[in-house]
Amino acid sequence: MSKIIEVNGLRKSYGSIEAVKDVSFYVEKGSLFSFLGTNGAGKSTTISIMLTLLQHDAGEVKVNGLTVGKDDEAIRKEIGVVFQNSFLDPLLSVRENLDIRARLYGMSKPERLAAIQRVSAVVDISSILKRRYGKLSGGQKRRVDIARALLHKPNILLLDEPTTGLDPQNRKQIWNTILQLQRDTNMTVFLTTHYIEEAANSNYVVVMKEGEIIAKGKPDDLKDQYSADRLMITAHEKEPLRTQLLESQLLFTEEGYSFLINLPTTADAIPLLVQYQDYISSFEVRKSSLDDVFIKIHDGEETADHVRIR
Amino acid sequence: MLGFARRNLLLYFRDKAAVFFSLLAVLILLALYVFFLGDLIASGLPNFPAKDWLLLSWIIAGILAVTAVTTTLGAFGVMVEDRSTHAYLDFYASPIKRSSLFGGYVISSIVIGIFMCLMTLFAANAILFFTGEEILSFIQLTKVIGVIFLSVAASGSMILFLVSFFKTANAFVAASTLIGTLLGFLAGIYIPIGNLSASLQTIIKFFPTSHSAALFRQLLMEQPMQEAFAHAPRLAKEEFQLNMGVFFEIYGSSTSPLFSVLYLIGTAIVFFALSIAVMKWKRS
Repeated sequence: MSKIIEVNGLRKSYGSIEAVKDVSFYVEKGSLFSFLGTNGAGKSTTISIMLTLLQHDAGEVKVNGLTVGKDDEAIRKEIGVVFQNSFLDPLLSVRENLDIRARLYGMSKPERLAAIQRVSAVVDISSILKRRYGKLSGGQKRRVDIARALLHKPNILLLDEPTTGLDPQNRKQIWNTILQLQRDTNMTVFLTTHYIEEAANSNYVVVMKEGEIIAKGKPDDLKDQYSADRLMITAHEKEPLRTQLLESQLLFTEEGYSFLINLPTTADAIPLLVQYQDYISSFEVRKSSLDDVFIKIHDGEETADHVRIR
Repeated sequence: MLGFARRNLLLYFRDKAAVFFSLLAVLILLALYVFFLGDLIASGLPNFPAKDWLLLSWIIAGILAVTAVTTTLGAFGVMVEDRSTHAYLDFYASPIKRSSLFGGYVISSIVIGIFMCLMTLFAANAILFFTGEEILSFIQLTKVIGVIFLSVAASGSMILFLVSFFKTANAFVAASTLIGTLLGFLAGIYIPIGNLSASLQTIIKFFPTSHSAALFRQLLMEQPMQEAFAHAPRLAKEEFQLNMGVFFEIYGSSTSPLFSVLYLIGTAIVFFALSIAVMKWKRS
């Protein structure tokens, strides 16, 4: 697969504050890529540079072979962007908004009409084209925002925290739309988020913190790398099982009537369950989610920070 | 660029409050005359023929000059709003040149200023008609429209310079209010220039909007003045004209219409150049 976005040694400072410190990564064509991090991690700065909205201090950013800083106008045609805060005009209707934004790409009238029809069908907003943008619900607005980003058939769809502020149902709907888009059109989807469950759907995840990449990989690889599964056993009687566990020299923790045992893989639970079956009243194998991974990655760093400060 | 200007026009006219507020200074001015200033000015003058017509024309000229400033100012609100909400980011991320966006804001503001002035002119003609006075001839109207273009260009340029410093909508609103209030004084529109102190008179003569007002007065008051001063000495007419700001006295001689026209053109060019310089300086 070819690389559609390549970032090498990117740096950006605001005065004495380093927002992005030597960041490198790439995005494969046609993939769903997640850029994960808390607020202020440097995500926004990085994507602003990709969008040619901000000049970088050092490093190189290439979008579909075009270099940021040299081919800015061509790059703007490559990317369709859904900003975190919507920037469409609330007083204008959805159709007016889309028509005005389509003009920015130099489309003729028939082209604009065709584009509006096409994107309205994709995100299912044909029925609300005449309504004022400002009067739409959060979910409807978001769908119109996505429609706007798709007007010029971009190769890359960039979404900056697209589901922030939406209720769970709308969040799910927007997600389905994004996933379907990526499947059907083979468009590259670049996403920033701080919801880990959203990143789990993606092909590749980059985690940023304080201007640096602290982890990257496929979601499953990240899970394997940063987390272990845990077996939780609730005993009929606590004492005998504890004695057994202590003898076996397993690492475990206690939580009420339960014992928690860290496992390298899920399957490692089986021999333990067989061995202790007489003591067990109930059990559960907890597969760690990407959430745990994220927290672990961040906590690890924070603890390290703590130590450094002390 | 035109497509973008069209968007700004749509936004301005769809925001009823913005339209109303950009006309607010005009409405206040009108109310002041009707209830208060009109009588005050009239009582300070001796009785002469066509006095009502003459004063009404003077008022209309002042209103046109104020409209050219406040509506253009209101129109630039779209630009300030885009800046304060960061809505411009979506345009910046699109393949349209920054200069085209800038041009789009300027064009829409000029169009709005001219349109609102034409509406005011139309309303003024209706007032003249209904009060039984003579309405403006076709030739006068063309000349007045010419002055409207000039006034809007000059005030648009000044406002562009001013708004290039504003980042928030609040600062803009505050400035709009201040300008709306001070404008009438600084252009000798609330109170005739002859009734003001020497220092204020000097400021008025430098203020470009005074020259729009003077040009409007020259055109609108031409006929009533002929009637009013038909049997009066030439000096009385000249004194009246200087007192009411139809012409200004600069270094002992009276300003010509050409001087005011050139003054407005100069204002438009100088402030436009300054605005572009400020924008370039801010970007780097």
